[in-house]
Amino acid sequence: MAEGFDIDHLAKLARLSLTAEEKALYSSQLNQILGHFQALANADLPATIDDARVVDEAALRSDEPGPVLGAEAVTRIAPASRDGQISVPRVVDDES
Amino acid sequence: MSNVPPDWEVVIGLEVHVQLHTRAKVFASSPWGFGKEPNEQVDPVVLGLPGTLPVVNREAVEKSILFGLVVGAEIPERCAWDRKNYFYPDNPKNYQLTQKDFPVVVGGQVEIELPGASRNVMGEHKFIRIHHAHLEEDVGKLSHAGSGSLVDYNRAGVPLLEIVTEPDLRSSAEAEAFLRSLVAMLTQAGVADCDMEKGQLRCDCNVSVRRRGAEKLGTRTETKNLNSISSVRDTVIYETARQIRELEAGRSITQETRGWNAELARGYVLRDKEDAHDYRYFPDPDIPTLKISRETVTRLAKQVPENLYDRQRRYVEKLGLPYTAASVLVNDRALAEWFEAAVAAHPANPSGIANLVANDLLRDLAASAGAAGAFDEAAPAPVSLASCPIKPAQLAGLVKLTDDGVISKQQAKEVFAEMFKTGQDAAAIVDAKGLRQNSDTGELEKIVQEVIADPAVAKSIAEYRAGNEKAINALKGPIMKRTQGKANPVLIDQLLRKFLG
Repeated sequence: MAEGFDIDHLAKLARLSLTAEEKALYSSQLNQILGHFQALANADLPATIDDARVVDEAALRSDEPGPVLGAEAVTRIAPASRDGQISVPRVVDDES
Repeated sequence: MSNVPPDWEVVIGLEVHVQLHTRAKVFASSPWGFGKEPNEQVDPVVLGLPGTLPVVNREAVEKSILFGLVVGAEIPERCAWDRKNYFYPDNPKNYQLTQKDFPVVVGGQVEIELPGASRNVMGEHKFIRIHHAHLEEDVGKLSHAGSGSLVDYNRAGVPLLEIVTEPDLRSSAEAEAFLRSLVAMLTQAGVADCDMEKGQLRCDCNVSVRRRGAEKLGTRTETKNLNSISSVRDTVIYETARQIRELEAGRSITQETRGWNAELARGYVLRDKEDAHDYRYFPDPDIPTLKISRETVTRLAKQVPENLYDRQRRYVEKLGLPYTAASVLVNDRALAEWFEAAVAAHPANPSGIANLVANDLLRDLAASAGAAGAFDEAAPAPVSLASCPIKPAQLAGLVKLTDDGVISKQQAKEVFAEMFKTGQDAAAIVDAKGLRQNSDTGELEKIVQEVIADPAVAKSIAEYRAGNEKAINALKGPIMKRTQGKANPVLIDQLLRKFLG
């Protein structure tokens, strides 16, 4: 199957910098995955399959507040934190 | 500078993100609210930790449906959620749960009113079509500190209704009017509080320009994350001018995502725009498609309040209110209902009641509250009627006393002030202060005759008899003075006309 993706663009979206070897490896693996989905798409399935995952409103949750983790627990599972907040490399979304 | 050259037309579409009025988050039971310490309103579902599953909050769905019914939209039998994939630290799961193909609300329209030529003249009305509205989760909040950024996930997972308009808006004034109308509808139906200072309503603004008469839409830009009506207005004005300038200089418009710097009042290009297909949307496997029963839709339809402009038309046409008073009352549902309760207690004079409510009552309530409007800087602060010392029937009683000629309009203001201070009935205050007007015709006749006989007013009498209607007013002062202001002005007028023939 022909490649339906641009590995450099995907790497950029995933914020990954890949070596040439990694690009080749992941391209090949992605092609296998896409081929698998192509096989699924080609399968002759009944049109009503969607009904299997339809629920009615009984499956909704009531608007009752429950317990929270607390900032201490939230920041503990993060690689870095400061003043109760999770610390990440600077992301720029302001005027530049 | 909002003037668009006559040969150009601006086309605007808005995406309005509204935090719905719920206690828990949209897919998790974590509570949410403004002003909490960072990351104190987060649970494992919000973070998408292994083993957790999102379950949709019923209240968030019903508030979304209610919005749809308010704008006369279709509520499809099924709605479903999708994953919008992107990597950014405001998003703990690396995808946002949203609705791409099967939104909860489809279609509908919002009536807007443009400013009139002056405050007491009603402006043009228009309908702005809604394309759809979908229920999604809000994302976390980033703040930038030195070389790094800090993330607070309290806002992540807050129910967010994204309302998408058709490109029906044609000026900054229409965009402003649309947002005012939308906010009034959302708050009056209890769908959302729309407090912009708390970030409860944020807007993305799509703008393009074209030569007037052209069919084809121009290339549009999207300015994201506007958090006040004035920012939306200023963005439209800025973007319109910029695009026309570019096109007239022979350059083209790039389809791009932009930001708005409110302090510098200028827009800027956001870097690294991801295209729609970059989000790699796919149906969320954790949340089944939701079937919405027609019983639920029927039940919620009963909660839809009267549309504010239907109410305004009713006030003007059926109750005979001046436009100015009607437009003030209908903006606040609680105030309008308070007014209607007063009218029910004294149906003879809705305008008299409206005048006191829209002027005196609002002024005194605002003075005792003090807060400023948040999302809409130009709008009056919302007042709390819960703590209003005057009850509707009491205000009706005051207007009735004035209508019956027991006290004058001037005295009514004084009684109103006292009522606001003490919460007493108007009649009790009138009696306690001895304000009842003298309606004893015999005594008043004598005073009127004495005043007319005074040579000092002979000139006014002559003028009146010569046809100058206004000259009669010069005689009322001395009569009022001699009765210490207690004479019924209506009666004085009648007696003067009788004696002067």
